[in-house]
Amino acid sequence: MKMEDMSLSGLDNTKLEALAHDVYSDLVEDACLGLCFEVHRAVKQGYFFLDETDQESMKDFEIVDQPGVDIFGQVYNQWKNKECVCPNCSRSIAASRFAPHLEKCLGMGRNSSRIANRRIASSNNTSKSESDQEDNDDINDNDWSYGSEKKAKKRKSEKNPNSPRRSKSLKHKNGELSSNVNPDLYKYNYSSGISYETLGPEDLRSILTTQCGVVSEHTKKMCTRSQRCPQHTDEQRRAVRVFLLGPSASMLPDSETMLENDGYDAPDGQLIMSRLQWDGSSDISPSDSASSKASTNNSESKRPKKKKNPSTLTLTTTGGGGERDKGQERERVVGSGSGSSSSQNALGLSSRKKRPKLPVPPGPSIYDDLN
Amino acid sequence: MSFKMQSSENMVYSPCFCGEGKRCAERPATNNSRETNISRESQMRAAINQKLIEMGERERLKELLRAKLIECGWRDQLKALCKEVIKEKGIENVTVEDLVAGVTPKGRALVPDSVKKELLQRIRAFLAQHST
Repeated sequence: MKMEDMSLSGLDNTKLEALAHDVYSDLVEDACLGLCFEVHRAVKQGYFFLDETDQESMKDFEIVDQPGVDIFGQVYNQWKNKECVCPNCSRSIAASRFAPHLEKCLGMGRNSSRIANRRIASSNNTSKSESDQEDNDDINDNDWSYGSEKKAKKRKSEKNPNSPRRSKSLKHKNGELSSNVNPDLYKYNYSSGISYETLGPEDLRSILTTQCGVVSEHTKKMCTRSQRCPQHTDEQRRAVRVFLLGPSASMLPDSETMLENDGYDAPDGQLIMSRLQWDGSSDISPSDSASSKASTNNSESKRPKKKKNPSTLTLTTTGGGGERDKGQERERVVGSGSGSSSSQNALGLSSRKKRPKLPVPPGPSIYDDLN
Repeated sequence: MSFKMQSSENMVYSPCFCGEGKRCAERPATNNSRETNISRESQMRAAINQKLIEMGERERLKELLRAKLIECGWRDQLKALCKEVIKEKGIENVTVEDLVAGVTPKGRALVPDSVKKELLQRIRAFLAQHST
């Protein structure tokens, strides 16, 4: 029988609806039957009740809701109040503190050696002169002769002045430093610097021979780190010395500079460049600190906290204004007075922000004849 | 398939087979045509079913219904009912007929309305499309 024989007119809406309902009920019944067959098979095969546990086991694993106990019934801070006896010092230690105590008690483990070193270092600082820092960790890393020279660099290792060991051992000395300079010269103190205004020239000189001394723009205090502190350049140090002690007094020792002298832009550029060379350019000739080549390479680079870079930075005190030609020979200039123009930069450049290159002032150049 | 028969009373007043007993537009001319209509209707049903199967629509509808029932949790409800029947009758002795008889009527009732409506809609659409 073809569908064409059955026209829609033969069926009204209700009939159609009934038909649809019939089809629907058929489908639902099919679904029910399918489920029943499945269940029946599962029952007969024995896997219908597999996902259920018997009552006994259910009771065993019931959720526990008592105070002081977790849902499995375990006590979680069982060992908190227990105390153990240390085999080394025979003290009774709390269980959770036992392991760290043992570490320190036996002298093994990372922390204990660190603490011991710190103690040694601090005792060295307080009792001995700087040249006796035999126990310093990085004693072998430097080529410096930490002899008895007054101008010898302070042989503090170039550790982070912000490290906890510093503050921990020397906190109690903070308050004394600002006014009483001399006995505290060898004490590390990063949290309060030295204010140069209150110091006499002798004090200043002694400070400046041992410490970095660069005056921070923010706090107007002198940097108390060593002469090789990575935060400030030799140029800055030189400038500070010039500023504080007069133009002829800037004698920084150990100007081991290997600058490649390609001329320099300005005193500001000098300081920038010398700072930038600290960043790690390895071809710095032992001459004037200015090197425009370095500056062009690194002019916008920031200064990382590199600790030891003996091949870089010049510590000369030379410079004055004036330009240098590129390709100038390497020279080692020691201790001549820097131009007056550099003194004005001493304070300004002690901060570490980036500075654009400034134009060269055509000031009096000592080295005009050298060009 | 159920088939509502007009009562003899209604035959006088509304001789059509719409099943509602009221006067409707369609009136067979004679009593004889009612039987023809009945048979025509049953033929119609058969034809429609056949068409459903042939076009695969029935399978699709079946799958759709199955998916929807699982989604709405109907299947799990019915399984729980089955469990009860089984516990009643005992595992060893339960038969398919027991299960069917115990579960199917409730199963029909438990189908959610949304599922029912959607299915009916699809069936109607199919009928509308293919019944001419």
